[in-house]
Amino acid sequence: MSKTIVCDGNEAAAWGVVKARPDMVAVYPITPQSSLAEYISQFVADGLIEADLMDVEGEHSVLSVLQGACLAGARTFTATCGQGLAFMFEPYFRTPPLRLPIVMSLVTRDGISPQCVWGGQQDAMTVREVGWIQMYCETNQEILDTIIMAYKIAEHRDVMLPTNVCHDGNYQSYGVEQVEIPDQGDVDAFLGEKNTNWHVALDPDRPMGVDPLTGGAAASGASLFVRYRKGTCKGMQNALRVIAEVHEEWGRKIGRHYSPLVEEYRLDDADYAIVTIGGMTGAGKDAVDMAREAGEKVGLIKVKTFRPYPLQAMLQAVSKVKAVGIVDRSVSFGWNAGPVYQEVLSTLYHRKERIPAVSFIGGLAGADITEDHFSQIIETTARTLRDEIPEGPIWINE
Amino acid sequence: MDKSYHTIAFYPQKCNGCNDCIEACARINTGEVSPAHSRIAIVKDSEDGSFGLALCRQCGEPRCVMDCPAGALSKNEDTGVIQWEETKCVNCQLCTLACSYAGITYNPVTRKVMKCDMCGGDPACAKVCGRGALEYLTSSDLYDKWGDMEDLFVPGISACLGCNSELLIRHTLRRIGPETVVATPPGCVAGVGSVGVNGFTATKTPVFHPLLTNTASMLAGARRYYNRIGRDITMLAFGGDGGTADVGFQSLSGAAERGEQMIYICIDNEGYMNTGVQRSSTTPYGAWTSTTPVGSVLRGKTQDAKPMPVLMMMHNCAYVATASTAFMEDYYAKLDKAVAAAKHGMAYIHVFSPCPTGWRFPPAMLIEIARKGVETNTVPLWEYINDGNEFHFTHSVDNPLPVQEFLSLIGKYRHLDADQIDHIQKMNKRRIEMLKMFSEQEERRAS
Repeated sequence: MSKTIVCDGNEAAAWGVVKARPDMVAVYPITPQSSLAEYISQFVADGLIEADLMDVEGEHSVLSVLQGACLAGARTFTATCGQGLAFMFEPYFRTPPLRLPIVMSLVTRDGISPQCVWGGQQDAMTVREVGWIQMYCETNQEILDTIIMAYKIAEHRDVMLPTNVCHDGNYQSYGVEQVEIPDQGDVDAFLGEKNTNWHVALDPDRPMGVDPLTGGAAASGASLFVRYRKGTCKGMQNALRVIAEVHEEWGRKIGRHYSPLVEEYRLDDADYAIVTIGGMTGAGKDAVDMAREAGEKVGLIKVKTFRPYPLQAMLQAVSKVKAVGIVDRSVSFGWNAGPVYQEVLSTLYHRKERIPAVSFIGGLAGADITEDHFSQIIETTARTLRDEIPEGPIWINE
Repeated sequence: MDKSYHTIAFYPQKCNGCNDCIEACARINTGEVSPAHSRIAIVKDSEDGSFGLALCRQCGEPRCVMDCPAGALSKNEDTGVIQWEETKCVNCQLCTLACSYAGITYNPVTRKVMKCDMCGGDPACAKVCGRGALEYLTSSDLYDKWGDMEDLFVPGISACLGCNSELLIRHTLRRIGPETVVATPPGCVAGVGSVGVNGFTATKTPVFHPLLTNTASMLAGARRYYNRIGRDITMLAFGGDGGTADVGFQSLSGAAERGEQMIYICIDNEGYMNTGVQRSSTTPYGAWTSTTPVGSVLRGKTQDAKPMPVLMMMHNCAYVATASTAFMEDYYAKLDKAVAAAKHGMAYIHVFSPCPTGWRFPPAMLIEIARKGVETNTVPLWEYINDGNEFHFTHSVDNPLPVQEFLSLIGKYRHLDADQIDHIQKMNKRRIEMLKMFSEQEERRAS
């Protein structure tokens, strides 16, 4: 039986873990992820999660124990953010090329310095090129559902890649909503058999050297290394198809439908659009609705899957409009713009005609992006249609 | 495979010609002390004054047995001892001519030949020798017990000539066996190709490169899962000192605190040998490395080594020991205990590992340096068993050799001045005094 509760995003994530039945969960606390680690620990203590709980001495070891367990055959879960993710980076950027289907919540947090413990997407965006799948959630229900779907995506034979399910620190980690917990039998039927280490394993029954030295000046080494790299890239591209299939199947079997890659909101007849990612999307949609009531032909494009980058889905969306305003909750220091903005610019190159695009950066370090902010974002984007193109980026909350 | 036997070793440089062994031999065989009755003789070279041994070597293909016309001599296949049967002997003395070692001799008092019978497995000569010039060696037991086991590393790995790590990992994995997951973090053991290069591997068990920083964590995760599915797979790490005491210390400390089940072997060659001999926290005071160089201002490392095995004992590991490849029986005995301990907690063995390449000594000197390290108390051999809180030395630390006898063999200490040597000697003494406190505590507790 499914069950409806009211809970915050961290608890919703923990319920997703309950239903996915991992063999091992590893935890180390960090704000604003801590209560997620606590929910997981309590659920293990209560027998709701029949997993080995490893409360280790730091995030570096959190991911390391999961790698060892995954290589032995375990389905695994953890969660982190911010400095924890930074400390975890060494094993983190090794996980995708090892092709380990580990699922991890990123309760996104801004980066230090200045010292800060609040939400922002700087952590997740900073690791966007590492090879983890990244999906960003809009509601607590989507967090729960996406965590379950993440296992099916990560463990798909054509993918075999680690997956981050991201939700915003503070606004989603602590924000309370109604959430339906799906029936265990339905989830079991949906997920099917676990598939973690058929391709790479530490098992005396099928001994192998895991991660031998590869590459070097010899042609054979170079070509082998290229094969591995291409394989990981191919897995990422396959994931675009698999993410779509899995979301479709979830909708069919569980009854909740999400756009797997990019969601188009009131876009079909829009002249221009704003692009959002994560928990800000709700306020963005409200602002779009209000602008529509005022006669503005504006739509919204929500990024669900940021890695692999959904080029075709985004191209299809931005091809419907004549201007875009892209809202980032993080900074690309190298570009003096938002990371999502940069990627949308790359997408626009695939269009024949050029259109204006504006970078907005807001919601840093726990700041709110309100409906008023979004109304201003919509207004500024609308003005670009009249050739009033501002110098970017535009900093919200300044 | 042929059986291997115990033997009596002779170290001529330790002998002073006191003849205690000769008297002991005569006494145990006849009750008299006359050298005429001794099966062993020590012969002084008239030219250089050195001592030589005249004693039966219990040969594998004994000429005495072959030449005996009466069948009075035979080799015991169980003990390896060449036995002489008085009732069959015709007293022709051909055997004394056949032996190249003066191992069977004519006794003018009894008018019979006589030879060593190893005192039934407890030779009196070796027992009485106060200088360690005679030693009863039982390490052939290792050969008999483990020699038939498969070497789980392939031949031809690319270790340096005289590499202690290669010796160690071959012995270790042979003992522990194939139901094992082996972790070789970046360092010499990985560098010699244990995990492999471009698709080929050098290890017959599952093997992997952890990061330099997370060996203990990765093994812990794998073992936990095997426990969960009811499979008893041994987790074995061959970490270097850098991956153990420096950058990998946090994950090791965490795993030890949680009592993760594994055998963690630190092969301590006292620096980053694989990357070009840089300093680590276990590099000893005064040692030259490429980052503690010797110049007109600096004279090698200025700090003492981190006492890694003691730190692990303080973590309450299930088992902690130090070891040296010059004392293989000791090492194997400790491996036995580590295998047992790793079923319920962490077993940590810290192996002193001289490195010909990085320490600057000829490869042939490896074992002698390993031995001198122990005999000068630079490397005390001890073990700690958590179950029962036992601590004891496994090799005597009384009457150590002067530390210079160890330091002078090694190039990385070539530049040491008298003050530096004095510091090392004092630190060795302090280390022993500290360890003795654990040992005495144990004795007090036992009484």
